[in-house]
Amino acid sequence: MATDKELSDFLKSVEKRAFKRAVYAVRSDDAALDIVQDAMIRLAEKYADRPAAELPLVFQRILSNATMDWFRREKVRSAVVQNLSEFDSGGEDGDFDLLETLHALEDTMGTESASDAVSRTQILRLIDAEVEQLPTRQREAFLLRYWEEFDVAETAGVMGCSEGSVKTHCSRAVHALAKALKIKGITL
Amino acid sequence: MNTTSRNSEDSGIEARLAARLAGTLTQATQNLPHDVSERLRVARQQALARAREVRLAVPAATTVAGVSAAGALTVSGFWPRWQRAASLLPLVLLLFGLIAIDQWMTREQVLTAAEIDAQLLSDDLPPAAYTDPGFAEYLRGSPPP
Repeated sequence: MATDKELSDFLKSVEKRAFKRAVYAVRSDDAALDIVQDAMIRLAEKYADRPAAELPLVFQRILSNATMDWFRREKVRSAVVQNLSEFDSGGEDGDFDLLETLHALEDTMGTESASDAVSRTQILRLIDAEVEQLPTRQREAFLLRYWEEFDVAETAGVMGCSEGSVKTHCSRAVHALAKALKIKGITL
Repeated sequence: MNTTSRNSEDSGIEARLAARLAGTLTQATQNLPHDVSERLRVARQQALARAREVRLAVPAATTVAGVSAAGALTVSGFWPRWQRAASLLPLVLLLFGLIAIDQWMTREQVLTAAEIDAQLLSDDLPPAAYTDPGFAEYLRGSPPP
């Protein structure tokens, strides 16, 4: 059973990322805060007796469900379904080079200086916006796999899909982000 | 073989880029507005308070069960046996009362029948006269006294 401190530490470590995940989904700070609060309370009420190691997966699943509940309440489920089908539109990457984007990103972010502070903020905002623009399932897969650092099986469990789908969503998300950043001149 | 190594190289690059992007997102979340951070803190505290309530509720339920179990034990002890017997006393009294009433009513019925029989037998008119149709017609026809 997770102690008070373990539960507190866990929530503290995850709350900001959870908020951003919810913002990406519902595009409203207030709604996202309500969703995160709802998810935290659900976790505390029903799963506080679980071992601390199980909390991350359970919480992400609760957060996903709380977000879906919000959409149901808002009666915009049709919009979600529309978003879910968006991932089919991707796929043609042309001759764009993923490695080139990676090098540009590493060069820029790795050699940060004080004079780059403004452009760094702009870059963060730009990446944030691009992540928000991703189709829902791609974004969920990308965030769970690389931001929450779940493995493919865990991500598939949270998303309720196959591991193959997770890999596909992640790959398309990374390519879409890299392409979008390159178009915007990133060089980041 | 060449294709396999190419694929694994691609996925390695993809993973590195994804990790860099995720790192960037993490940096972005460090600068959330103060009111958002505060609301998250309050939400966390509410959740922790709720978790404490849930944890306390479970032992409380156990304690109540323990008390009732202890109560059940004392009921099976010496003194409570008398208490249980005392609680049955009104029922026993009620039963005796019903039996007494039944006996009294039976006795009343017997005495009433005996009185009627005694009057019939001590009367000048023999009881067989009441079965005679002529005497019955006489009684109907004669004026009341």
